[in-house]
Amino acid sequence: MSIRTHASPCGLHDSWQETQPAEGRLEHLRRVVDHAAHSLPIQGPLGVFVHYNTLRSLQHRRFEDAVTEGGRLFKAEPFLSEEAYQTERSRRRILDEDIDAVLSREPDADILPGRLRRRELRRVMLAPGMRRVNGINISWQLEEGGWLDSFRNDLPEPSATALRRDSPSALWDACRVRVKPRPAPPPVMPKRPRDVVLVQHGIDMDALIHPPLIRLTGAYLDQGIAYWPMPHRDKGLLQAARKIMPQVFAIFPAHLSGVRAEFLRQDAANMDADTVVLEALEQLDVPLGQWEEFVTEELLALRGWAGMIRMLEVDVTLAPHDRVRCSLMEFLALRLTYTVAALKDISGDTVAWRTTLLPVPRFDSLTHVARVFDVVQLLGISSSELGTFTDEELAWLDQEILACHETERRRLLHLAYERRHERRVLIPLARHRAMPQIVPSSNRLIAQVVFCIDEREESIRRALEEVDPSIETVGVAGFFGVAINNASMDDADGVSLCPVVIKPAHSVREVAVGGDAHLHEQRQGMRRVWAMVARNSFISSRTLVRGWISTACLGFLSLFPLVLRVLTPLAYGRFIKQLNRAFLPEPKTEFAFMRDDAASRDATTGLMSGFTTQELAECVYEVLGPAGLHKGHARLVVILGHGSTSLNNPYESAYCCQACGGRTGAPNARLFALIANRPAVREALRAKGVVIPEDTWFLGGYHDTCNEDINFFDVDLLPDTHHADLARIHQSLDKARTLNAHERARRFAAAGHDITPESSLRHVQERAEHIGEPRPEYGHCTNAVTFVGRREITKGLFMDRRAFLASYDATKDPTNEALAQVVGAALPVCYSINLDYYFSAVDNDVYGSGTKLPHNITGLVGVMNGYQSDLRTGLPAQAVEIHEPVRMLFVVETTPERLMSVIKADSELNEIVCNQWIRIATMDPDDGHVEVYRDGVFEKLEGNEEPLPVASSSLAWYRGKMEHLALARIDPRAA
Amino acid sequence: MNLKILIPLFIATPGVLFLALSIVWLLGGCVTERTMARITKSAYAVLALLVIMTGWRMRVDGLHSVRVMLGDWFTVGHYGYPLSLLIDRLSLLMVGLTVVLAGIVGFFSVRYLHRDPGFHRFFMLLHLFTFGALLVFTADSLDLLIVGWETVAITSVLLVGFFQYRPEPVRNALWVFASYRVADLFMLLAIFLAHHWFGTTSWEGLFSGEWPGCQSQMQGAEGTVIAVLLVIAAGGKSSQGLFCGWLPRAMEGPTPSSAVFYGAISIHAGAYLLLRIEPLIHQSWIATGLIIITGLATAFLGTLVHRTCADAKASLAYAAQTQIGLIFIEIGFGWTTFAVIHLVSHATLRTLQFLRAPSMLRDYHRVHAASGGKVSPTGSLYESLLPPALQLWLYRLALGRGFYDAIVERWIVAPIQAVARWLAVFEPQSPQKQPAANTPAHPAESTVS
Repeated sequence: MSIRTHASPCGLHDSWQETQPAEGRLEHLRRVVDHAAHSLPIQGPLGVFVHYNTLRSLQHRRFEDAVTEGGRLFKAEPFLSEEAYQTERSRRRILDEDIDAVLSREPDADILPGRLRRRELRRVMLAPGMRRVNGINISWQLEEGGWLDSFRNDLPEPSATALRRDSPSALWDACRVRVKPRPAPPPVMPKRPRDVVLVQHGIDMDALIHPPLIRLTGAYLDQGIAYWPMPHRDKGLLQAARKIMPQVFAIFPAHLSGVRAEFLRQDAANMDADTVVLEALEQLDVPLGQWEEFVTEELLALRGWAGMIRMLEVDVTLAPHDRVRCSLMEFLALRLTYTVAALKDISGDTVAWRTTLLPVPRFDSLTHVARVFDVVQLLGISSSELGTFTDEELAWLDQEILACHETERRRLLHLAYERRHERRVLIPLARHRAMPQIVPSSNRLIAQVVFCIDEREESIRRALEEVDPSIETVGVAGFFGVAINNASMDDADGVSLCPVVIKPAHSVREVAVGGDAHLHEQRQGMRRVWAMVARNSFISSRTLVRGWISTACLGFLSLFPLVLRVLTPLAYGRFIKQLNRAFLPEPKTEFAFMRDDAASRDATTGLMSGFTTQELAECVYEVLGPAGLHKGHARLVVILGHGSTSLNNPYESAYCCQACGGRTGAPNARLFALIANRPAVREALRAKGVVIPEDTWFLGGYHDTCNEDINFFDVDLLPDTHHADLARIHQSLDKARTLNAHERARRFAAAGHDITPESSLRHVQERAEHIGEPRPEYGHCTNAVTFVGRREITKGLFMDRRAFLASYDATKDPTNEALAQVVGAALPVCYSINLDYYFSAVDNDVYGSGTKLPHNITGLVGVMNGYQSDLRTGLPAQAVEIHEPVRMLFVVETTPERLMSVIKADSELNEIVCNQWIRIATMDPDDGHVEVYRDGVFEKLEGNEEPLPVASSSLAWYRGKMEHLALARIDPRAA
Repeated sequence: MNLKILIPLFIATPGVLFLALSIVWLLGGCVTERTMARITKSAYAVLALLVIMTGWRMRVDGLHSVRVMLGDWFTVGHYGYPLSLLIDRLSLLMVGLTVVLAGIVGFFSVRYLHRDPGFHRFFMLLHLFTFGALLVFTADSLDLLIVGWETVAITSVLLVGFFQYRPEPVRNALWVFASYRVADLFMLLAIFLAHHWFGTTSWEGLFSGEWPGCQSQMQGAEGTVIAVLLVIAAGGKSSQGLFCGWLPRAMEGPTPSSAVFYGAISIHAGAYLLLRIEPLIHQSWIATGLIIITGLATAFLGTLVHRTCADAKASLAYAAQTQIGLIFIEIGFGWTTFAVIHLVSHATLRTLQFLRAPSMLRDYHRVHAASGGKVSPTGSLYESLLPPALQLWLYRLALGRGFYDAIVERWIVAPIQAVARWLAVFEPQSPQKQPAANTPAHPAESTVS
């Protein structure tokens, strides 16, 4: 949707520096702000949570460079910590052969001719690895850490032998004599006035100016929390602030009194935001060439708020209720006005900060010596041998040790970490394919159940097939080919139900069927009454006069929901449902989705109301065609959309269907079934080569991934002949969801190891109804793999809810048309989810939103930490705590040539794949050999070291284990 | 069971739990989450049972108040520090409220804080808080009350700074701490003066008869001075009057601690104190006037600021402050029963609202959808009666949170800091100042290794 325009690589990346002198200052400023805006978070208001590649602005660079660059820009961690990888190594999640393999792909060189090569050096620096040196107080560390008492006890055998005659203190002395200490890094130029003021005056300017900025911006963007909307909002943020802030007798916080006069002056001169910023840049003496860096730094200081302003500026429809005019330039103008005023007040002038050098952080010049000391131990170089090195040789060694700095080591360890993951998936997958199918396919299937490709559906698909082997499951992107703007019966406005990269062209509306119109009226009437009561009790519990009466007289009534919700969440949830059922009549509804007039378009939204038969057939074909469902469908085909409901959870939407833009896919599933049942559509499909048998019936349904509810739509339309089929599939799904709940519960410590499947179902239902539950479900926390191919390949394979499974039959797709469709739909969704989790997991404080516990919803657009803070973007700690941050391993059942032809045709996919933001592999449709994409070429997967364990059932394989599990073959005969 | 045993027993239970847990913790031991959950749940169940038994016992025996003398802690001359507990109708109600609300929040937190590194710490503090609150509500003298009062204060501060690895919670906890300390000075002064003038601080010595309807024994100007001091101290606890600025800052802790402290118990402790000393207040028009003005000013400011708060928790904090202002007014006018009902009602309502604060997004969207996409606009009822210029000025006042922080920072904190800096001249060796900017934010990131 709009995101493309906002974050697409702009021409500035390479050209702005050359063009700047030619253009005017104003144009240049606008370009600079536009460019700086790319570094801001791209998360919209929290009501809908859409996953994005957090570093989308750096997507034009290779993954490994981009994370390092992002780390520098955002002061964030690029990878997990070195200790974390070493822990993984000690529990054999990373093997030494992985490190060797990774190093063998890096350029090698002779360091000490005949004695040491770069690979050998790096090998010991990664395994057993370096000890952490704190860089501040080396001699203390040496003594306290016992570095001089004995050599490391994890030295490789030859090194330990070589050092047997040597003593640590002798070696340390030799290092001190031979190795030149590194000079302290030079003082740096300040990036913002704040840096200088903090050093010179001990005052944190951000702590001064952020509270008013947060309050102003929060009130400005507010969508309905504040009782009293901000006055003058229609004039824009800057104007509104100017009108409000300089009131007579207004008292400004310390050092900010100058803001008043400044606002009055700006107002009198009627300055617009551009002028204010230009003037501030001049006052602060920022030269033209450094505008970009300065503006970026200033915006990043409050990046959550700035990002939200930017998002709403680019697409005003993202605002959930009140559309306010946003402008990043105005936000910047406001910020700089405050900055200049504070700087004037504190240090008296606004220019001196530019020429002040920041003092060097505390630095122990022995740091480097200590690292060399560690390395020579690992290499087994004794003190006497060190003495024989020439100065030149030592300089080489020095260089190499410096080049393999911490970030570099973490990068290499990360690659090794990913490599082991890759082998633990691909080798067993290939083995499983080579083995005979566990259940030979019968004549005709009882039913086919179409799920979303979502990795959370992997387990229920497996469970369903285990429960009833004559059911086949299919995975397609959860909007089921129908990209719609849907207004459900209870919604006032329509919402888009499709991946965010697609702009829906058709609108549909859920309406009550003719006979039930009066019920619909009744229902909406009741809901309006409820809304009025809810709204009024919300307001009147907080205000003065109404609050006096309502809290004093009615407040104690809240004891009932309070006690019951917390003590018996499940029963209370049922009670509420009963109440709803009793008071809210449920009319029978249908979709208004047919369009007769070929081109009727809504004038304001540009949406076409409904579809023509031809368009409908196209939608159905997009799903059935790529999945290879051309003919021989089962008597009953169930389409299960998915979503998630939980209470007291601002991130509820993050658990919903990402292929539906962070919403539930139920309407899509229901609509798809209705469409596919239409004779005219089937007629049109026949012309495309999809032949649906006369006796096949499509049935829409909904799966709640949090409480495991499954229900069906339009059951009354089902022909009598199919009721037996429905009963059977209903029973199987019921068993499957219980097993699924049990498999999910293995990750929840609160559920306990010995929980039965039945109580685990109750447990997950309770999670959904519990207001104190920060983890109603684990969401996409386990995502790691995508498999695009036939279900036969993965059937009977335990993939631990870690694999997105998209159905695609390469044998029926000679033109690659279907491949382009499947990959085009699945890859952007999967990689966005994966990278959002990656970044939130490697640095939860910067890229993620930190722990959920103090989160404070603000303005209905986002959350702050506690009292007031920047808007937090990304995923909370509770959502990523069991995540393994690896890039998505995207396996497609096709040939490398076919895959790359599809990927090369789409510039966005090409960028993602070529810059390795995703790991790609193919599995040959004919012989099943696997090829892995590495640095631009596909290489055949060699080696056979990972086993494929066999278990009699999924339950037998996972029972009693909480950690990520290896792939296993589930063969009921294995018992 | 005998009341003389029951009452000390339910007060001691959370205190003993806290002691046991901290000893385990100090010895390096670790209580698993599951055990902690069981301990907490059963502790509150037992407490609730004990409180019910106490109430039932008193009813059966037809008692309106029970005093339990546990003897003196120490005696100096003719002063003895009395360990004496009092349960009457007011105390019992407050004790019941504390046990129910803290228990609910305890149950809630078992889930909410699951896997948080501070899980153990949170529950230790919750038990300590319960102990403190129960002591406040059952203390028979100001001497004993202040022990509970301070316990509640310190747990409150420690929970505001619960996320101690971030600077803002710690800074705001310090702010809350300072507000409490200043307010406590007034209470200490009141205690000293009560001892000086009346020789006692026990309710029995200060008031005759049973609550409500007891009579004050403190007459004249001395009584007025003590009443005024206690009103100010109560304002500190309930975020009223001079101390009306700290409440939103206390929203830094985890949601359940915000609920139990600033929605439920701690915030109402000031109102309890006023209810307790009500006869004293009413015999002095100065104290009565002060309490009404304090309440009125805070309620007005609270509701004004609440109107402009765009975030869920600060909005609730100011709403709570408003209602407690009204409770102060009710006490000032002598509507004791109504004030008590208001207090209990408000505490339960606010607890629920705080616990459900993260639901605001969903709730609003549901109301919006149910009302057909048109939510009735707010902020045009009384406001529209005012001239636009005044409206704007009031909005500014509210957005600046009554200029409270600005005034305190500029004219209280800054001068004190200046004096402190001047006094530092007498320090023989002032330690070298190490500006925070000198350490890089992410040392791990330096590529020079």
